[in-house]
Amino acid sequence: MNTCALCPRLCRPACPVATGSQREAAVPANIARVLVDWDRGGASPELAAQAVTLCTDCGACKDWCHLDIPLPEVLRECRAELLPEPLVEPLRPSEGEGRCLVVEADGRPVAEALSRRLGEPVRRWFTADQLGVAAVDHPSWPHRARELRAAVGTAEIVVTVDGGVARALEAAEVPFQWLHEVLPELAQGHGSCQTGGERPLACCGAGGPLRHHHPEDARRVGKAWLARADGQAVLDARCRNHLLACGGLEAADPLDRLLAEES
Amino acid sequence: MHLDWLADVRSSDHPLDLEAAGRDLWPRETLRFWQGVRATRPVRVFWPADEDQVVAVLREASRQRVAVVPYGAGSGVCGGARGHTGAIVLDTKALDGIGPLDEDRRTVDVQAGVLGEHLEEWLNARGYTLGHSPSSIWCSTVGGWAAARSAGQFSSRYGVFEDMVLQLRAATPGRGLVVVGEDGAAPREWMRMLLGSEGTLGVITGVRLRVWPLPEARWLRGYKFPDIASAIRAMRHLMQEELWPSVVRLYDPVDTRIGGRTKPHDEAEDDARESEAFYVEWLRAVDKIPAVRRRALSLPLALPGVVNEVFGRMAEGCLLVVGWEGAAEVVQALARAGETILVEADGEDLGSEPGDRWFASRHDVSYKLMPIFERGGFADTMEVACRWSLLEPLYHAVRRAIGKTAVVMAHMSHVYPEGGSIYFSFAGRGSEAIYDRTWEAALQTCLEVGATVTHHHGVGTLKSRAASAEVGPAVAGWRALKRRLDPEAVLNPGRLYVDVPARDPGAPPALSPEDGLARAPADASLEDREAVTGAEVRWPFERLPAPPRWQRLPWQSGWIEVEGTVEGQGCRLGRGPRSAAGPDLRGWLVERSEIRPLATFSVVHGGARWMGEAEVESPWCIARELLLADLRPAALYVRNGRLRVGFRGAAAEALGALASARVPGGLAPIEWEPAPLPAGPLKACDIDDAGVVAVTLHGALARGEGA
Repeated sequence: MNTCALCPRLCRPACPVATGSQREAAVPANIARVLVDWDRGGASPELAAQAVTLCTDCGACKDWCHLDIPLPEVLRECRAELLPEPLVEPLRPSEGEGRCLVVEADGRPVAEALSRRLGEPVRRWFTADQLGVAAVDHPSWPHRARELRAAVGTAEIVVTVDGGVARALEAAEVPFQWLHEVLPELAQGHGSCQTGGERPLACCGAGGPLRHHHPEDARRVGKAWLARADGQAVLDARCRNHLLACGGLEAADPLDRLLAEES
Repeated sequence: MHLDWLADVRSSDHPLDLEAAGRDLWPRETLRFWQGVRATRPVRVFWPADEDQVVAVLREASRQRVAVVPYGAGSGVCGGARGHTGAIVLDTKALDGIGPLDEDRRTVDVQAGVLGEHLEEWLNARGYTLGHSPSSIWCSTVGGWAAARSAGQFSSRYGVFEDMVLQLRAATPGRGLVVVGEDGAAPREWMRMLLGSEGTLGVITGVRLRVWPLPEARWLRGYKFPDIASAIRAMRHLMQEELWPSVVRLYDPVDTRIGGRTKPHDEAEDDARESEAFYVEWLRAVDKIPAVRRRALSLPLALPGVVNEVFGRMAEGCLLVVGWEGAAEVVQALARAGETILVEADGEDLGSEPGDRWFASRHDVSYKLMPIFERGGFADTMEVACRWSLLEPLYHAVRRAIGKTAVVMAHMSHVYPEGGSIYFSFAGRGSEAIYDRTWEAALQTCLEVGATVTHHHGVGTLKSRAASAEVGPAVAGWRALKRRLDPEAVLNPGRLYVDVPARDPGAPPALSPEDGLARAPADASLEDREAVTGAEVRWPFERLPAPPRWQRLPWQSGWIEVEGTVEGQGCRLGRGPRSAAGPDLRGWLVERSEIRPLATFSVVHGGARWMGEAEVESPWCIARELLLADLRPAALYVRNGRLRVGFRGAAAEALGALASARVPGGLAPIEWEPAPLPAGPLKACDIDDAGVVAVTLHGALARGEGA
């Protein structure tokens, strides 16, 4: 953290929030400065919380850093300390039967389409809060993880297209596959933030706490993302909904096209 | 500040935004942050979305007499972009448009808030480069480059930032939006006043820049020299032989030794690992003793005099990294000539490894400063410039002056036919008093030797007294324009120039033949200048200064040093081949001097020449094609309908052959015969017009009024 606070802001070009929001305060080094100040008893916890929620947790700064400083992890810890308990919904039951379980995070009928493609029944599991990914760093997570593993039960293949869901599954140690691994025709468009896209398009602002705490900045970052994207990325639920709300998402992503063909 | 008039402009007074806008990268501020000193906070930050909004903010601030601090990415290291108490900060980052790219004219329009790295990525994706690569490229904006006269690591081939600017747009409180250059309506002399004005005359909102195709080939090599004098001699020959290398970096013996730069890669890695291991162990040991840690002293920083002495004794020679890039055949011709010069100057060829190693890690230096602050020290850099004969005296004088308070090493990385810059890196114990004392000694020494106090970092707060002393009474030229553009003096007050006691610059140090300069009255005709030099005038403009940058070839220079008097006070500007001590006030000085002003200009003593001639259709079209093919002729003109192309220096014949191969029917060799270069006024015209008198990379020029 100290090194980041003293750094001449070298990861600035990689940070989607600093770039999209144009706020100097969002540059990772400046966030680190506020946290150092908070740690020393200078900045208030409220101000530190404001600073630490300017991060979308995309990891671009760490990838860029020549010193490999794990700033995202440090910020995650700070968020866990500074922010109130995350809101997590109870897990819903899955629907249908089958060895394959698809976790859907928005209204797109992925399970249905996959069932037709595979020629076998597919279980659908809908989540409105990405399986409670917001609680991953919270002390309550081990309990949630146990629930999650129990809900998956005996499914042989767990599939998702959503980065938030993926992170929750990973944190609960549930093996899963990306939809594009099961449907190779989507591999071309594989590239949204949470699914490992190119870093300059690293995050639309919806993937982290930015959207909740700094909605205006999240909108600006979303617009900047859209200005640089070529419409070829498969968007996960939060990205997609957020970009739709930003008002500039015109071209359907490859998954939308595939679902349209299916129907 | 009342904001009723500015409700449409995005702004914030959130403590996070004010805190962030209260600091730039001035190491003194970093030191203060680490010591727990709070930065001053501006009252509000504005992000205007377009030029109209920038003008609106400035006019309102001017009406209310509120100070405005322009802010790009805040990478300035001289304290020129810190929002302060009572001021508003005008953040340019919402001005983030790039394009259009004009591939025929090789230009691109860029708004001021675009981050350097993002511009370069954008250009690279389209097959072009700006050729501007300052080590701050990740954390600085295009507007900041223009405002503080940036220079990049490849400056000896692509030029410094002002060489790249064809048009500049700036918002001012007094005159609204002003557009200078190409078709702009503002007086052309405002270009050299706005570049380097550091936000005191206007807020730069956008520029049109010269771009180059991505290099087809890159050649990089290291040479070891026995001492700094022989290496400086080699660099001078490379530049005066007009070989235009893309990289020329000389590390002084201390830097060479510490970096293990002249050793094979594996050995250097081992050395670096050993030094690092020692240093890490030392720091760990220090950290275990709280009392010591609190004081946070590390041995080298506590005893700089001893360390400088030891490093000086350990040193064995110095490394020069040299490189060329561009069209493959041109690179080959230039590098071959360069190799001969370097070897003849006692350079030991170390192969490509030192160059490749530098290229791969060329921005890494910025990562090395944090641990010094973290352990309670400070680290800073000073980039100064002078003509060739003063470089070595300047190097030794500065080392002596600051060697008692800081560990110091240096490299030289910006060179010109007329001189070069020295980049001192120094670190000391983390005390503001020691920091200030070190800087005062360093800047005073530069002034005494006759160098400019800044080559490319600009002035800000840190160098405002020294730069004001250097510029002397010519500051009146800046004040006069400031009264017109910023009548209420709200733009970045207290930065750039401040009141200092008058100081006579004294007689200029005598010119030495190695400087490649001659001196004559600034208004002397070309014939008169030729008569006094006894050598060939390198760029024979009909009169000085040369035409503005956008109307000449980027490698041609006009006057260098200019002397005169203002209100009875002596004044000498242009102490280096290039200075970033504020705007270029040389034209103003020549105009206002009470005595006939004198100017130095570049001359050529002997050396190889090659000239060829051809009768071709559309000779000026062919001439421009030669420029676009990456050839940099010393002479390029049309006489009696025949195209003439000339090259000077060690690669003259090889370059002549390359040019000849590109001219239909080839160029027939003739006797060297330079021709006067038109000095203006010039105007853009069609390349097939009968009145064409010159071509640049961007098109043709005829005599006449206008840009």
